[in-house]
Amino acid sequence: MKIAYFSPMPPESSGIADYSALLVPALHAHVDVETLRRKAKRPPRGADLAVYHIGNDPVAHGWILDALRRTPGLVVLHDLVLHHLVAGVTIGRGDGHGYLDAMEREHGVVGRLLGHGVLDKRLPPLWEARPEDFPLTGEVLGLATAVVVHSRYVADRARATGFDGPIAHVPHPAWPVPDVAPAELAGDPLVGAFGNVNASKRVPQLLEAFARLRRERPGAKLLLVGATSPGFDLDRRLQRLGLAGDGLIREGYVDERRLWSLMAACDVHVGLRSPTMGETSGTAIRALTLGKPLVVTDAGWFSELPGDVALKVPVGDREVDELTAALSLLAERADVRASMGAAARRLAEGPHDLARVAELQAAAFELAAGGHDVADGVLREVSGAAAEVGIAPGSPEASEIARRLSEVDLGA
Amino acid sequence: MRIAVLRPQVPFARGGVEIFTDELVEELRARGHDADLLSIPFKWYPGERVLTQAFLWRLLDLEEADGRRIDLVVATKFPSYVVRHREKRVWLVHQFRQAYELDGTDLGQFGPSPEDRALRRRVQELDRSALGEATRLFATSANVAGRLERSTGLVAEVLPHPPQRLPYRSAPGEGFVLSASRLDRAKRIDLLLEALALDPSLHAVIASDGPDRGRLEELARARGLDGRARFEGRVAGERLAELYATCSAVFYAPVDEDFGMGPYEAFLSGKPVITTTDAGGPLDVVHDRRTGLVVAPEATAVAGAAAWLRAHEAEAASFGAAGKELADEVTWDRAIARLLA
Repeated sequence: MKIAYFSPMPPESSGIADYSALLVPALHAHVDVETLRRKAKRPPRGADLAVYHIGNDPVAHGWILDALRRTPGLVVLHDLVLHHLVAGVTIGRGDGHGYLDAMEREHGVVGRLLGHGVLDKRLPPLWEARPEDFPLTGEVLGLATAVVVHSRYVADRARATGFDGPIAHVPHPAWPVPDVAPAELAGDPLVGAFGNVNASKRVPQLLEAFARLRRERPGAKLLLVGATSPGFDLDRRLQRLGLAGDGLIREGYVDERRLWSLMAACDVHVGLRSPTMGETSGTAIRALTLGKPLVVTDAGWFSELPGDVALKVPVGDREVDELTAALSLLAERADVRASMGAAARRLAEGPHDLARVAELQAAAFELAAGGHDVADGVLREVSGAAAEVGIAPGSPEASEIARRLSEVDLGA
Repeated sequence: MRIAVLRPQVPFARGGVEIFTDELVEELRARGHDADLLSIPFKWYPGERVLTQAFLWRLLDLEEADGRRIDLVVATKFPSYVVRHREKRVWLVHQFRQAYELDGTDLGQFGPSPEDRALRRRVQELDRSALGEATRLFATSANVAGRLERSTGLVAEVLPHPPQRLPYRSAPGEGFVLSASRLDRAKRIDLLLEALALDPSLHAVIASDGPDRGRLEELARARGLDGRARFEGRVAGERLAELYATCSAVFYAPVDEDFGMGPYEAFLSGKPVITTTDAGGPLDVVHDRRTGLVVAPEATAVAGAAAWLRAHEAEAASFGAAGKELADEVTWDRAIARLLA
């Protein structure tokens, strides 16, 4: 079966490009995958199914949404919130009306009015200020013939929008253990946080909690890796908390090899996120591969991590207290770190195993491509047999048959 | 207890599952249960028929029969476990293997079209759904349980069953290798015939029947085996027990077999088994140089194993005796106690 695969691919710098680079070779064991060059408009002739990887970044995914609009197909929904994507392919292309229409389609007249406020610069951009309240996922789900998601969180919300097609929950694949040496960094313990440095990664809360930890354990160090987002004054915060000296190790954007090396050096990984766009964290998945204990925000996909793998910190008034307690526990207890690390590795080798994930993805693709015909065939034969013995459509007997079909998912 | 044992029926075919389920009903009755065998013909082609025929099981109402409650059902192989029952126990002989490990092989059924690919996935989904309803889930071998867990994530307890009832006995070997597997391609009798072709001192008796018989007899002729491979067809129980008793070794080397009664029957006759590294279920009990010989799935290796066992009677006898100890552990008393617990 031939799959037309629309996704950002390396060397693009995107988590979804990394994801596809990992997954596509494993998919070849099941299906014939043709990855489309950037800006491709349609699936190639002979493709049985078009698969569109949709995320919130308009630069990486705008062309993929354009192709989806031309030819519906299966959507791998990496982010539940797509406001930034929609704004990018409308306002970003000089199509303000398109943005207003999208807001009205999903949020009614109030949405349109808010859209006007954004266009007139009377309101801050909603994709930055309140994206979770206005996810703008409707158009993509409306075009999708089937959806693959990485979490129950996204599956439930996609269903709640009214999407009634097939939804397959397929975990994010884990990378194989890389052949890199841990970076030579000191820290007792060394706590790592990876990704953009900004408020939505809860860096202010992390810095505060880590400063408290340092008061109890002066040997502890925090490794912050990733670009600082515009407007986020990291230096001032570090100074205020007394972390500007040797408590912090700072690296900006790093390449993949350096990333693995830094991650391997850490004793504890912190992956905080709020608000969540429904995304899965590629760095958290890498931490599983490395067998590292995790501290995460109790939200979205992160909430679905097993309790023996991740300590979960709820967002709210007690966030810093709970984060401090989690870091202290892992700093003090090497045995807890070891058992959580072992559980993380089991998770990477089990549900997130690359071959297993590829098998599940291929199953979703195959059902999306041919499932309707199969369901039609089953219904045709069963209803034909029922009719031959006088069971009329709508009769109690026909309802009973329909109920039994539905029990084992053989209905349409 | 009123117990319904469920068995799909392929009309005019009889093999291990039929023997197993017939004896299960008899053994349940012997222990005072009101047991009966329920069967529906199964045809798995063309196209969606694999699903519509499976669905017939779902339409059955087995909560009671003739006004009397059925306490428990025991489903055995695809698609009998699609049935609905509040106390559905599954003693899994095998899933629909064409949708799993046989897919893409000569023994597969589903082609490369999107419809066929989706059909295969629907069968898998049906398995997940129907087997997931079971109140207890057993598998006849570690191989079957492993396949189930890999394909559905469901975990089954391994529960082997005794082989068919025969007047098992042991006697000195008369120098021939016995094969009593049904004659179909998956049982790989041709491997034994090719082994005979390589070593003119080897003899074999093939005591069974099946759709591959014509091809195998033609192969024996083409290889000039000149009666060294004797096809006896399906034989009566007494004759089969006699062949087991007097052979030098039993050849049992199907491809990734589910369970396989052959090794148990050989062991109860005190005989070693020749099997292959890819045989699947038989490897639960055929352990290399302990209860038999496990060799590569190649004619030269099979020929070497057969010649070695014939030449080393003491070792062959000790392998058979060790196998008998294993087989003696598998009793209906134990199996039924676990099944109904």
